Amino acid sequence: MKKHEQELQILLVEDNAADAEMTMDALRQARLVNQVQWVKDGAEALDFLFGHGAEAAAAGNRLRLVLLDLRLPRVDGLDVLRALRADERTRRLPVVVLTSSHEEVDVVRAYDLGVNSYLVKPVESEAFMSVVGQMGLYWMLLNRAPGDTR
Amino acid sequence: MTHAIRDPANPTPTDGPPTGRAEIRRQEALLKTGALQDAIFNSANFSSIATDAQGVIQIFNVGAERMLGYDAADVVNKITPADISDPQEVIARAKALSVELETPITPGFEALVFKASRGIEDIYELTYIRQDGSRFPAVVSVTALRDAQDAIIGYLLIGTDNTARKQVEAEQQVLSQRLRDHQFYTRSLFESNSDALMTTDQFGIITDVNKQMEALTGCTRDELIGAPFSNCFTDPARAEAGIKQVLSEKKITNYELTARSRDGKETVVSYNATTFYDRDRKLQGVFAAARDITEHLCLEQVLQEKNAALLEANKELEDFAYSVSHDLRAPLRAIDGFSRKVIIGYGERLDEEGRRQLQVVRDNAQRMGRLIDNLLAFSRMGRREVVLQPLDMGAMVTGVADELRAAEPQRSIVFACAPLPRAWGDAAMMRQVWVNLLSNAFKFSRRRQTAHIEVGGHTQGGECLYWVKDDGAGFDMQYAGKLFGVFQRLHREDEFEGVGCGLAIVARILQRHHGRIWGEGTPDAGATLHFALPLPSVTPPVTQDP
Repeated sequence: MKKHEQELQILLVEDNAADAEMTMDALRQARLVNQVQWVKDGAEALDFLFGHGAEAAAAGNRLRLVLLDLRLPRVDGLDVLRALRADERTRRLPVVVLTSSHEEVDVVRAYDLGVNSYLVKPVESEAFMSVVGQMGLYWMLLNRAPGDTR
Repeated sequence: MTHAIRDPANPTPTDGPPTGRAEIRRQEALLKTGALQDAIFNSANFSSIATDAQGVIQIFNVGAERMLGYDAADVVNKITPADISDPQEVIARAKALSVELETPITPGFEALVFKASRGIEDIYELTYIRQDGSRFPAVVSVTALRDAQDAIIGYLLIGTDNTARKQVEAEQQVLSQRLRDHQFYTRSLFESNSDALMTTDQFGIITDVNKQMEALTGCTRDELIGAPFSNCFTDPARAEAGIKQVLSEKKITNYELTARSRDGKETVVSYNATTFYDRDRKLQGVFAAARDITEHLCLEQVLQEKNAALLEANKELEDFAYSVSHDLRAPLRAIDGFSRKVIIGYGERLDEEGRRQLQVVRDNAQRMGRLIDNLLAFSRMGRREVVLQPLDMGAMVTGVADELRAAEPQRSIVFACAPLPRAWGDAAMMRQVWVNLLSNAFKFSRRRQTAHIEVGGHTQGGECLYWVKDDGAGFDMQYAGKLFGVFQRLHREDEFEGVGCGLAIVARILQRHHGRIWGEGTPDAGATLHFALPLPSVTPPVTQDP
């Protein structure tokens, strides 16, 4: 949760504090928690990614994954995704939608906008821990993205 | 007649007094020779009765004998013609003549000859009475017989039997009454119809209309008859085309036209028309009935508006369901997640009962999550577009059953699927139908040592019928009505898990396919779920749920 730390690699865009906390619990359980920056809506996310100042740029550069909720106050998750894909700096940044929505229309829109994965948050908390943890491990440890140096 | 007697030799009857004594002599000679009498009296078809001045019969010819049944000897010098006439009629005639001629006339022979006695030509109808008492109508012509001094010496009554004519008249009367009745009947049928009716000839010229047609056009019957039918409408060409279509196809139905009345009022009418024929099947023209559908159209518009409002409300409801399911999930997740955190983080500080109670919180949160998911799935089935295609139901059933068996490999299940007719439906939805029905069969037969599940189907009456039968827990038919309701369960959740949405979803899918579903069950003996899908030829276009 400290943006200046070198290991910052996950941006969590989530308006619901409980969901955010549980998501971070799950990532912590997968030993990924220290790499997470949490922003509470789409506008904050865009500001964090593309806002003025070297801080934002530096933060953007160190990202390896965006966890994006869809229904967000102010700027909607899909708009954030559209903005990410429209910007050269984040065009290829892996984005995983993490949402409550089962709606086919949301899935299709997200894929049309170039999402890398779409996960529905389970209500049951063991399942939630497992899904989020596995997802974090896969994208952070197994997946190879453009520009990876490992 | 009068002339013939007075001047029998004159072929062209010109009225005028006898001219000179020579003429009178000639007449006397003629009478004396009997030539005239012979001619008249030998006619068997006329009754010729001659009387003296007082009316006593002097001559009674063959025709009279035949018509009246008397011998001449019975009547001559004995009775007057009044005695063989209907006495009531004689009295009536006396009265009528008294009034007409303003002089008292005695009912009796006088009434029969009074006019003739005054030199008035007299032919009248009368009922004669035969010797045997029977009666017949006669037409009687009466002439006074005069001597040379023009004094009356007697009367000649020539009668004809009028029975046949009377009969014909009576029959004609009956027929014409019947005709009038029939015309009245036809007319009243025509008039009492609530539609505007008319007939036209084969050129579209109006030949008859009823009052409703007058009201529709604002023209009178006389104005309409003889005018072209097409004049009454805003689009005469279309009206003409309608008549042509009737003539070529013998009928049209629901042909819409807009009638324009004389005062400009327009009425949308729907025409049903047929050709009509006479008894020889010769085309007579077109019979057309116009129904005012203004109100109908108005209702239709109201219906459309209501339907639009309903669709809008339904969409709002769907949006609401979407949003609710979406928004409710997050707090549920928090309830479950944080209960879990308490159990994990603080479980040691709770006793057994405290941990159990927290687990109850978690169980219920999870259950609510499943309810929401099912509600959403149910709602989705109503909104999703139905894409029809031919379906291999047999392959679908086998696939689903294999998956279900693989999920419970330890169970002993005898599964049999008869050859199934191909169906016409939405592949994903129909698969869902089989998944839900077969899952139920698997689930509710779980307690059998060996469960038996059968699937069958056949085509019948324009439908494909399918059924899934199990020998599981079954249900009481008393509760059959609850089978297909949302969140309706016929078993306790601690017996068989589930939220009670599976069959509701199946019913919804079948409803979207214009199909049907029903079930039979016996407690602890098993259940059979049947469903029917319409065959493609009778499948109406698939519509969105209202």
